Amino acid sequence: MRRPQKTCPFCETRVRFIDYKDDRTLGRFITDHGKILPSRLSGVCARHQRQLSTAIKRARYLAIIPYIRGMQA
Amino acid sequence: MTRKYEAVYVFDSTLEDGAINDKLGRLHGLLGTPGDLEVNHWGRRQLAYPIGRSESGYYAVARFSAEAGALPEYERAIKLDDGIIRHLITLYENELGAPPMSEEELAAANRRREQDDDEDEE
Repeated sequence: MRRPQKTCPFCETRVRFIDYKDDRTLGRFITDHGKILPSRLSGVCARHQRQLSTAIKRARYLAIIPYIRGMQA
Repeated sequence: MTRKYEAVYVFDSTLEDGAINDKLGRLHGLLGTPGDLEVNHWGRRQLAYPIGRSESGYYAVARFSAEAGALPEYERAIKLDDGIIRHLITLYENELGAPPMSEEELAAANRRREQDDDEDEE
């Protein structure tokens, strides 16, 4: 049986451009270790997933969100 | 051609606010002091990971229109400045891009949402 299609949280709120400076939104789309969450799990559409991955990478560079987290040796 | 840019600067948090404003003034002077310059100071915040010896930084976001030819000199000045630990210059052209959703698309999106009532995400 097919699982119901998840709707893209960005399309629902009619976000046109994902802001790389918004750490609270980006924080919802990374795992506990700081990896980018696959759209398969988050339901983000392809267009927004592309924007999201760029935004997360920009935010990481600016030290707004971490590259890795919870991996202390 | 004039384009709209957005620059984020991360200053060393040990700098005085006055020194930061001086630096910003000098950098934006290299762009020929654009008329639509808009600077948003976030202030000091914790970095997500240490950069060099710094654990925190002073964030400032600037939006401006500039000639593409003026940018290399401006970016060179940023790179030479030891008080700036990170910077990012991006195109800020949010007014371009896809047109807003039409009524039909919006209705389709709403229909999809209604079908999706067993979703318990926030």
